[in-house]
Amino acid sequence: MQKVIYNISLYLSFLKISLKEILIYRIDCIVGIFSQLIVQLVSLVFMFVVFQNTENIAGWNFQQILLLFGITRISIGISGYCFDGLYDIGPKYIKSGEFDKILLRPVHPLISIIGNSREFVSIADFILGLVLTIVMLVQLAIPVTILLIIKILFFSIVGALIIGAINTIFSISSFWTYRSNEVIWSFYRMYTFTEYPITIYNKFIRILITIILPFAFVAYYPTMAYLGLNTYIIYLSPVVAVVLWFVAVKLWNLALNKYRSTGN
Amino acid sequence: MLKTMMQLAKMQFNQYNIYKSNFYLFTLNRIVEVIVYIFVWQAIYSQTGNAGGFTLSQMVTYYILAIAFSSIATWGINETMAHSIRTGQINKELLNPLTYFQYYFGMNLGELAFAVVIGIATFIICAIFWELALPVSFLNFILCIFIIILGIPITFFIQMIVGTIGFYTNSIWGMQIFRKAVIQIFSGIVAPISLFPLWFQELSKFLPFKELIYTPINIWLGQVDYSEILFVIIKQIIWGAVLYIIAKKFFNHAIKNITTNGG
Repeated sequence: MQKVIYNISLYLSFLKISLKEILIYRIDCIVGIFSQLIVQLVSLVFMFVVFQNTENIAGWNFQQILLLFGITRISIGISGYCFDGLYDIGPKYIKSGEFDKILLRPVHPLISIIGNSREFVSIADFILGLVLTIVMLVQLAIPVTILLIIKILFFSIVGALIIGAINTIFSISSFWTYRSNEVIWSFYRMYTFTEYPITIYNKFIRILITIILPFAFVAYYPTMAYLGLNTYIIYLSPVVAVVLWFVAVKLWNLALNKYRSTGN
Repeated sequence: MLKTMMQLAKMQFNQYNIYKSNFYLFTLNRIVEVIVYIFVWQAIYSQTGNAGGFTLSQMVTYYILAIAFSSIATWGINETMAHSIRTGQINKELLNPLTYFQYYFGMNLGELAFAVVIGIATFIICAIFWELALPVSFLNFILCIFIIILGIPITFFIQMIVGTIGFYTNSIWGMQIFRKAVIQIFSGIVAPISLFPLWFQELSKFLPFKELIYTPINIWLGQVDYSEILFVIIKQIIWGAVLYIIAKKFFNHAIKNITTNGG
């Protein structure tokens, strides 16, 4: 347990250094954030078009769907910022042989790698999510209590951890293909399924996003709790996050033992 | 010259094809993207009995074709070009016996060939899961393909313009995303143009993007008159010519003023 806490604190100090590195490139940062907002615009345009044809989707109205979108974006923003380094394992570290250097450090390689994350454009996701969430909470006349704010903060971080764990599991593929980024990206994209009520999907996809890749716990179940539709299932989220991280780290260590350097 | 360009195209295609996983992953990506759209419209259809004026099978076909065509509309050589500007490799490329435009057009064709392969694979896999409307006639099918081919120079010249901006800014990463988002919204990948507000429809009539996705699909579904198709063809040729002139002028202007980053 002590080791886990030590590793987490180490990771946070790595992250702090990364943040300082970002702030060097101000212009790139601003352009990136602006572009990321435009990408989100594409999803929002689809929602606007859809809701011109219907009052609700599976019982959720426009404001509720936007709240779900906002809550999702907060988690995506946090996870994008904190775990982006995973995308680099294959192309940046293993392919070039730099991974050997990281193995020599007296730190678990996973900590070094995710500590090196600096996907600043995620800040755009986070801000957009925050703004949408606040506006929609007001519009839906949900009383914004301190408890709710703490809940949203806590479960957004838990959601980000769930995404991080799933990405970590898929990053294992980089030990074989060196192209982890595309593998992670392909599965990570499935979080978009949970931007709509999952009851619209068929059984297969519902099982996929609640049990196999539990993206539904990132934002969907928490949002249901905030809306008062289902108050209990939200408390499963932290359990899911812990279990997933346990599995992810175990699998990662297992794969690490099989690692063979590419030389260089 | 044509032979060299074809060779370049083949080279670029093979670069993707080295990793077989690329093919599976890109196809998976497309399918993941289309699933959300289809299920949302299915939900709306089951509630209201209407999917934005389309029948359900037409709507499903629309999105599957849109996603299948989308890589052709949005992929390109922007990244490669930006990279060559950043690293100074452009020095060598400018000395090629091919002009810079021909060189990149060849590469672009290779990229698009891979996009076509992905598109076909996506279409076939989706056809297993959902019932698709086939093209209303063979002529419509040919016209649909023809309109898409007419779009290739247009997307290419837009990329050259965006790429040329890289001479001034050194980084076109943001512009790239912007270009993709504009194409995604205005071409009808996100939703059929007919479902957008009227002012948007009017605007998209003048822009060349609608013809990358929306019009070819509607030709496939048999909802466009032949006289209108003729108009569309003329419009696309004019846009191609205009964008060619702009891209060429802009590039020639930029090339005189560049400072390259070593070599």
